[in-house]
Amino acid sequence: MNCQAQGKILVAAASDLKFALDSVIAVFKKKDAGTVEVTYGSSGKLFEQISNSAPFDMFFSADVEYPKLLKEKKLTLSDAYIYGVGRIVIWSKKIDPSKEGMKSLLDPSVKKVAIANPAHAPYGKRAEEALLHYKFMEAVKPKLVFGENISQAAQFVTTGAADIGIVAYSLALSPNMLKENGKYFLIPENAHKRLEQTVVITQHAKGNALAQTFLTFVKSDDAKKVLAHYGFK
Amino acid sequence: MIEIKVSRKLFGSNGELQLVFDTTIRRGEFVTIYGPSGAGKTSVLRMLAGLMKPDSGSIIVEDQIWFEKGKIDLAPQQRNIGIVFQDYSLFPNMTVQGNLEFALSKGQSAEIIDELLSLMELENLRSKRPAVLSGGQQQRVALARALIRKPKLLLLDEPLSALDSAMQLKLQEYILRLHQQFNLTTILVSHDIAEVARMSKRVLLLEGGRISKDGSPGEILPLENFRNFIDGLIS
Amino acid sequence: MLDFEPFYLSLKLALATTVILFIVGIPLAYFLAFNRSRWNVLLEALVGLPLVLPPSVLGFYLLLAFSPQNVVGKFLDDFFDVRLVFTFPGLVIASVIYSLPFMIQPVQSGFSMVPRSLVETAYTLGKNKFTVLTRVLLPNMKAALITGCVLSFAHTIGEFGIVLMVGGNIPHETRVISVVIYDEVEAMNYRHAGVYSSILLIFSFLVLVSVYLVNRRALKVHYQS
Repeated sequence: MNCQAQGKILVAAASDLKFALDSVIAVFKKKDAGTVEVTYGSSGKLFEQISNSAPFDMFFSADVEYPKLLKEKKLTLSDAYIYGVGRIVIWSKKIDPSKEGMKSLLDPSVKKVAIANPAHAPYGKRAEEALLHYKFMEAVKPKLVFGENISQAAQFVTTGAADIGIVAYSLALSPNMLKENGKYFLIPENAHKRLEQTVVITQHAKGNALAQTFLTFVKSDDAKKVLAHYGFK
Repeated sequence: MIEIKVSRKLFGSNGELQLVFDTTIRRGEFVTIYGPSGAGKTSVLRMLAGLMKPDSGSIIVEDQIWFEKGKIDLAPQQRNIGIVFQDYSLFPNMTVQGNLEFALSKGQSAEIIDELLSLMELENLRSKRPAVLSGGQQQRVALARALIRKPKLLLLDEPLSALDSAMQLKLQEYILRLHQQFNLTTILVSHDIAEVARMSKRVLLLEGGRISKDGSPGEILPLENFRNFIDGLIS
Repeated sequence: MLDFEPFYLSLKLALATTVILFIVGIPLAYFLAFNRSRWNVLLEALVGLPLVLPPSVLGFYLLLAFSPQNVVGKFLDDFFDVRLVFTFPGLVIASVIYSLPFMIQPVQSGFSMVPRSLVETAYTLGKNKFTVLTRVLLPNMKAALITGCVLSFAHTIGEFGIVLMVGGNIPHETRVISVVIYDEVEAMNYRHAGVYSSILLIFSFLVLVSVYLVNRRALKVHYQS
């Protein structure tokens, strides 16, 4: 199904990019007539789908590993490009994490802690690393609830299903979360592996010029500004 | 000439019953099978119609073998019979006319429909649906329908038991009229003594799964009931 | 700002599934209703599996079967250039399997409820099985047929787990309304999710009301005779 005649691409993107990438695309639309559609999910799940010939032209992962694996499987057309470095935060409506910092996870009123599923979400892996770094894992482990992806983890905390959670910085800065009147604490970068997020063009985009056009845009200053607004360095 | 010689194991509320039915019926005869419930009367009709398979034996109708254990078993579609059940006879989704037309075989002329409708006095009910007909009217239509294909054999499985006695009498007249008009070989199953006495000249008494008596109503039916019946006629 | 395409996709999926199930289901239900062999039990259990299996199990096996990397999927891809994962046709096939019992069970029940004497009388009138099916059985079990269609339709509209696994949430192709609601909740667009959900709820409720209405009317007619 070659969409090059209409100028259309289908992008698979990690859930933490929901608002950031939507904004980038909105800006792109003003300059280019091409259509960019996105399906959001956990990086691991999307990687699986692409490996099973899902029709995605580009893959914005929340890490470096998954695009690397795709390249090894010879499913990529371009090199991986680091479009930003992400951060994780502790977010809660119930208590104020900015006061206690990491210790807020140990607050006695906290019964459930939401993180993304480390099995296939990079943000979940980083959350795990942070917990281990501060030696909180034993105390927090029995309270952990896993979201399918980082978006669902965020949704658990905003609805109050979980009392507190470790979510993506980019989501904490999004309008939907900001209006929930929660507070957050930015977890120090040295507590986990660097959240280098990479994008790659897949084999499916062969012959589709729009993919390269969009990638070029993502590397541009305009796109970088938008991403910075959502906390990506 | 119909030669029936069948046997079959039946399972009823009284346990197992070995049914053995062995008799000969002449063309145009009106025979009644009489006996208590569970005697196997309906099973005999079903085996004749091809709706139930005998365990052993044979059925030969006017030199045509309808059933021979292990060799031949004609499907109901291939035996030319007419059958009327006790209830749920008519197709609810068709009118009276529709029910009769449905019975026509391929290429058969529709004249027979008019003939039977007039004979059964059903002309003004042609376009009615079964749901609005009385029980007696429904069974009249069922009878007419059973005869459309000019069957060799007419089987009646207690067709009147669901009707009230006045209606029963009327329908019995219709059946007799049809029998005379078409010289139909007819087998009627009934557990109603009066009906048996009135309708047939030959009664087969089915008891314990076998024909225990075979003769005229006067010979077969218990004498005092026969007397009651006669008294009933007089009063 | 509501997007109505997912509704349209869901309706298309449900309609296609229902039509296929109607065509495939009637012979299968007929076989189950009239063929009294011991193997029936196995077949009935097989048909009923989607009722008790979690969607993820069914979705998993379908994904395995349809994936272009495995035997069946590869064959379809090489010879027919047909993909069943992440495509609408694949979703239809998955839905047909998943909604099978919703058509088969009411229709099978409908067949058994048509009085046997009607069928037997028709046989004695020389009619073959097909004629009896189309002119005696089906016209006298309309309520069962309608119930089967309506339930299959409504059930397909509400499908989520399998749709997500086999369909992959591809816009304009497999992004049906149930998936969109899930997406909106995840993105914390609760108001949108609420609106979509309310529409779906009202629709499903109306569907059920109509099924029960039809069945009541059918029963009334039946009792009249």
